[in-house]
Amino acid sequence: MLSGIAAPAPALDFTAEEERRILRHGPWPPALLPDPSNRVSGKPAAIAFGRALFFEPRLSTSGAVSCATCHRPDRTWTDGLPRSRGQRIVDRNAPGLFNLGFNRWFGWDGAQDSLWAQNLRPLLDAREMGVGPGGAARLVRSDRRLSCGYRRAFGAAPGADDARIFVDLGKALAAFLETRVTGRAPFDDFRDALARGDAAGRARYPAAAKRGLRLFVGRGNCTFCHFGPAFTNGEFADAGVPHFVEPGRVDPGRHGGIRKLRRSPYTLLGRFNDDARRSTAAKTRHVRLRQSNFGEFRVPGLRNVALTAPYMHAGSHETLADVARHYSTIDEERLHAAGERILRRLDLSARQRADLVAFLETLTEKEPRRQSVEKTGNAVCR
Amino acid sequence: MISRRRFLATSTAAALLPGAARAAGAPMPIFDAHIHFSHDAAERLSASEAVAILRKAGLKRALVSSSGDAGTRALHAAAPGLVLPSLRPYRRRGEINSWVDDPSVVDFLEDRLMRFRWVAVGEFHLYAAQTDKAVPRRMIELARRHNLLLHAHSDAGAVDDIFAQWPEARVLWAHAGFVDPDIVGPMLGKHANLWTDLAFRSEHAHDGRVDDDWRGLFAAFSDRVMVGTDTFTPERWHYIAEHADWTRQWLTDLPRGLAEKIAWRNGEAMIRPHLAQLR
Repeated sequence: MLSGIAAPAPALDFTAEEERRILRHGPWPPALLPDPSNRVSGKPAAIAFGRALFFEPRLSTSGAVSCATCHRPDRTWTDGLPRSRGQRIVDRNAPGLFNLGFNRWFGWDGAQDSLWAQNLRPLLDAREMGVGPGGAARLVRSDRRLSCGYRRAFGAAPGADDARIFVDLGKALAAFLETRVTGRAPFDDFRDALARGDAAGRARYPAAAKRGLRLFVGRGNCTFCHFGPAFTNGEFADAGVPHFVEPGRVDPGRHGGIRKLRRSPYTLLGRFNDDARRSTAAKTRHVRLRQSNFGEFRVPGLRNVALTAPYMHAGSHETLADVARHYSTIDEERLHAAGERILRRLDLSARQRADLVAFLETLTEKEPRRQSVEKTGNAVCR
Repeated sequence: MISRRRFLATSTAAALLPGAARAAGAPMPIFDAHIHFSHDAAERLSASEAVAILRKAGLKRALVSSSGDAGTRALHAAAPGLVLPSLRPYRRRGEINSWVDDPSVVDFLEDRLMRFRWVAVGEFHLYAAQTDKAVPRRMIELARRHNLLLHAHSDAGAVDDIFAQWPEARVLWAHAGFVDPDIVGPMLGKHANLWTDLAFRSEHAHDGRVDDDWRGLFAAFSDRVMVGTDTFTPERWHYIAEHADWTRQWLTDLPRGLAEKIAWRNGEAMIRPHLAQLR
């Protein structure tokens, strides 16, 4: 899996500026605070209930599709497909579900401003699960096990307000998904060795990964968008990736996402935010729709990236090597020349592209937690 | 030339103009001054489909250029009253940065100018450090000989240089130079034959409200501003209608007369002296 790990690296040869940039990608994992907009964030009963909901196919109109259909725990919480198939094929790639608690926006287009709102989207979309507020509320009220789980998570039996129950399901799912934080990766060991001046620790990092890391923080300027410990700035970018869904139909990306956000009743500005102070809602209040948002998609975090192929918002790149080639030969004329260019054609050699991939492979957690999921959800209520 | 002080004073007065004008009945026509129909767009849309998109968006006119001019010619042939053809010095994508040093671009321009009729040259990318090169100099000479508008994606220095080379030039400054009103205003004040399009700009308006600084600019130079989509990727053809609607929305925050000027009247007035080239 980690193809470059075996080769010992020569002595450290990063400049002080490169070291400064590398150190900003850690330490890992950072502290994860409960989400103030979700009153059950971090609560064990909600986590257990959310886990049960995640595998619950009756939350789809067909009774055959659950969250786990597209986010398979045995496939790093994605499905390996370019564009996922719930009840029907959708427009975008299913991302792996981990490190979500660190996100600012959710979905490739950022149409949701909280993890709990993001969890409602597939329940509303007929192509995915489509059960909707009424169907979801009826199920929770009528099913003894789910009703019990709801009561344990929220401290009261499901009431008469369908919308409230529906949102609470999103919040329980969020409580569960927040727990999905990737483990430490070989890069973290290198980064921490660098931080403490541990020459032996640094030397254990493979040479190819080092060369790739130098490209990542240097000439490639990848770290401009793939910033910080999660390797994302949490915002949106036009990476020059075509965004036709099919002939005559375009995925508008962030432009459409902001428009959806503004129409949604499930935002941090609405009545379902459990935080009366709206302390995390400033981003939603101040977001502006810009012409440049058309064709922008969320910058994904890169931890475990080697396990989540295919890549980009619609899975247009099959392998990490393809992604490296994309940035190496990027069509600059797809990127509007307004101000300083962030992305430039890199013209990397084959070895440089391989080095970049070798670095990305060192972001894979050393011990995937695939086996930690209890698929039945029976731990909630029996 | 307008001074910075006069520009700011005019801006303040303009901000006090009476209430917003609202479009009534039919959607306000739009003169879209920044459309490209390059080869990759033409591979996905036939000329008739592209024209249908322009008409559905309520465009009155579209200043169209292409990388490889076949797309422009096809659109103009399909809708000569709608499409205003502009000749780009690019034969294909990928020449934005290289054309200024490529003498064969001159042959291309001379050939196309001889064989077809145009209202403009552009949109071309030209910056101050490049304006003295032989190829852009020759392009400007050709535009002068054929009485063509110049559609320049340029910094302010390059715009100054174009007017230095050809004082009677008529220049459409793409994207308002991607600079703020405190730079755009003095440039418009300095050059009487300079117009500007707002393509790919968002700073001037949000949520249907016009920014105060831009409002001042629009009032001070009410005859010199227009709008544009900039279809620099094939996907953006499917954004033309949305851009037109967004434009109409923020224009309602301006007095009706000013809104109509920005929406289409300024484009019509700018292009009128060049329409004879199409006959």
